[in-house]
Amino acid sequence: MSNVVIEAGRNRLMLNIRELWRYKDLFWLLAYRDYRIRYAQTALGFVWAFIQPFATLLIFTVVFGVAAKVDTKDIPYPLFAICGMTAWTFFSYVLSNSSNSIITSQQMVKKIYFPRLIIPLSKAVVGIIDFFIALLFIVILCIYYKFVPSANIIYLPLFAIMTIISSLAVGIWMSALTIRFRDLQHVVPFLVQLGLYATPIAYPAEMLVTSLPKWATVVYFINPMAGAVEGFRWSILGGQPPNDYIYISFILVLVLFVTGLFYFRKVERTMADIV
Amino acid sequence: MGERAIKVEGLTKRYTIGNQKSGSFRESFSALLRKRAKPIDFFALKDVSFSVDKGDAIGIVGRNGAGKSTLLKVLSRITEPSSGRIEINGRVASLLEVGTGFHPELTGRENIFLNGTILGMTRREVSSQFDAIVDFSGVEKFIDTPVKHYSSGMYVRLAFAVAAHLDPEILIIDEVLAVGDADFQKKCLGKMEEVSKNYGRTVLFVSHNMTAVSSLCNKGIMLKSGMVSEIGTAADVVHKYLNNEDEGLTYYKNWQADDEIHHDGVVQMHYVKLVGSDGEDISVAKISESIGIELSYSVKKDGYKPIPNIHLFTEKGEKVFVSVSPSKMEYTKAGTYKSRAWIPPNFLNQENYIVGIAVSTLSPVVVHASDYRCIYFEVMDDLLSVTRNGFTGRIDGVIRPLLDWELIDCN
Repeated sequence: MSNVVIEAGRNRLMLNIRELWRYKDLFWLLAYRDYRIRYAQTALGFVWAFIQPFATLLIFTVVFGVAAKVDTKDIPYPLFAICGMTAWTFFSYVLSNSSNSIITSQQMVKKIYFPRLIIPLSKAVVGIIDFFIALLFIVILCIYYKFVPSANIIYLPLFAIMTIISSLAVGIWMSALTIRFRDLQHVVPFLVQLGLYATPIAYPAEMLVTSLPKWATVVYFINPMAGAVEGFRWSILGGQPPNDYIYISFILVLVLFVTGLFYFRKVERTMADIV
Repeated sequence: MGERAIKVEGLTKRYTIGNQKSGSFRESFSALLRKRAKPIDFFALKDVSFSVDKGDAIGIVGRNGAGKSTLLKVLSRITEPSSGRIEINGRVASLLEVGTGFHPELTGRENIFLNGTILGMTRREVSSQFDAIVDFSGVEKFIDTPVKHYSSGMYVRLAFAVAAHLDPEILIIDEVLAVGDADFQKKCLGKMEEVSKNYGRTVLFVSHNMTAVSSLCNKGIMLKSGMVSEIGTAADVVHKYLNNEDEGLTYYKNWQADDEIHHDGVVQMHYVKLVGSDGEDISVAKISESIGIELSYSVKKDGYKPIPNIHLFTEKGEKVFVSVSPSKMEYTKAGTYKSRAWIPPNFLNQENYIVGIAVSTLSPVVVHASDYRCIYFEVMDDLLSVTRNGFTGRIDGVIRPLLDWELIDCN
């Protein structure tokens, strides 16, 4: 028999893993729902999942590869860009969708109890579909350019996990903050747009490291995705290992993730009252 | 019996009004700069204590704003109490609405799984009950159709069917029976009765329907202004609730601007009163005369289309009717208005009625102000009334309308 005690401030900071596990079916069903309704009633349906990354890649190639002639050493520019985009697309999807996820689920939040963390977490699942589509693009481009991925590819899962944690870290923070500060609903799309250029996606980070003063480089790497994107690309394309600045990015991600969980937990207790 | 299912001690839930922390950056920043307006504490629940034994069916009654919903929310862990302690022994399912999480684009089948897991079941549990749920809902033909194509009746039936197949040890229910048609409501009440009586489950039931509370529950709790004002057998508590001396209901009611019945700043209700056909105030109505219900209210903001509506109940809590003012009559400019609804003569029965008033915008539905128990009046019968036609005994029924009768001589 289950036995529950409800008290003000009880278990405030403990993350209840067992309870999250008990609600795992809900986690999957919420993700399934998002997947099902994402392209519902659209004429092209799932094709959109391919059109969007393809169009972005095309523009990047024209603007940065052909016109601006970004130096990517001996790697074909489209292949260079898609590697950065893969991690970024996932991040931007998860961030955009999880940050207002509690607000869009307020009907549920006000009417029933379940661990609220499930809501932003479930957004990562649909993002993974996009992630695999982008990986498919990488495979196609590798074949087209007859490019053999480097041996570093064994590190790919590590950077993929880093990408997921980074997305969830920012997503969880934003979902909890957006309840109180609705302005963030307008800030997040802006951040995502800005981040596309402030992250080494269309160009190598090395380009900035060599031309920026040291303090500016540090500021540049206070970006949860800077490290993940650099590492992700390195593990596929090889070449010079990413510089040590990426550790700034990694430490930041871990700090954000842990503090985000605590903050979420704190807000969760009265979420239904303020949402 | 004897074993305890729920124990509540000194439960308090405080909301701070005027200093809501939800808002915008600008509010937060400006709050830092200027001296803070003194926040007002509002106690939705104040030092509530009670305990529930296993197998009890408890009816929780009280007027709007008495704290019933807050109590259920705290018991269901939707929100945390400000202080106090609750101990719950047993698996809880709480139904504060039916169909939580239903998505219109998903099929009936998908929604059953989604809703079931939201209510705390696992996928496997839903699977094993799936056929029974579909059967209970009566929508088998459309189970693979997106629910947006369902009629509202089908939607509610499917939603309730999922809830009815939860197998909790403690069931917490809030007014969900106020949906669906009469047949379906009967089915739902039957299911609840089965759960509480045959399986010995513990049920907490909030309702305005006193008939349902007295028939389903063995114990009752009455809340008043966030505090427990009565605990006892269901019959006693229902009696106390209906005994309006306690609530001071009479043939008129005045409200203040800061009354809780005002849900947003759009509409303020000033008073409602009973008037006779000549427009004079009356305290008792005559069965053979028109009864006017006069409402005075102010619309505070332009651009809304608030429409007064009347909810008439019998003293026992059965709803007689809802009447909505025809919308084209209404103004959209801010200002003070007076509306009168006329109940025709020879329509109500010799009964005691309770009037509820709300002012709402219809599409989408927003209730700006509502008080579902605001005036109380008696209808005096007249032995010579046309609806008696000479009969002098008691005539049953919630209403006693004057109908058009035809008599055809077939000889």
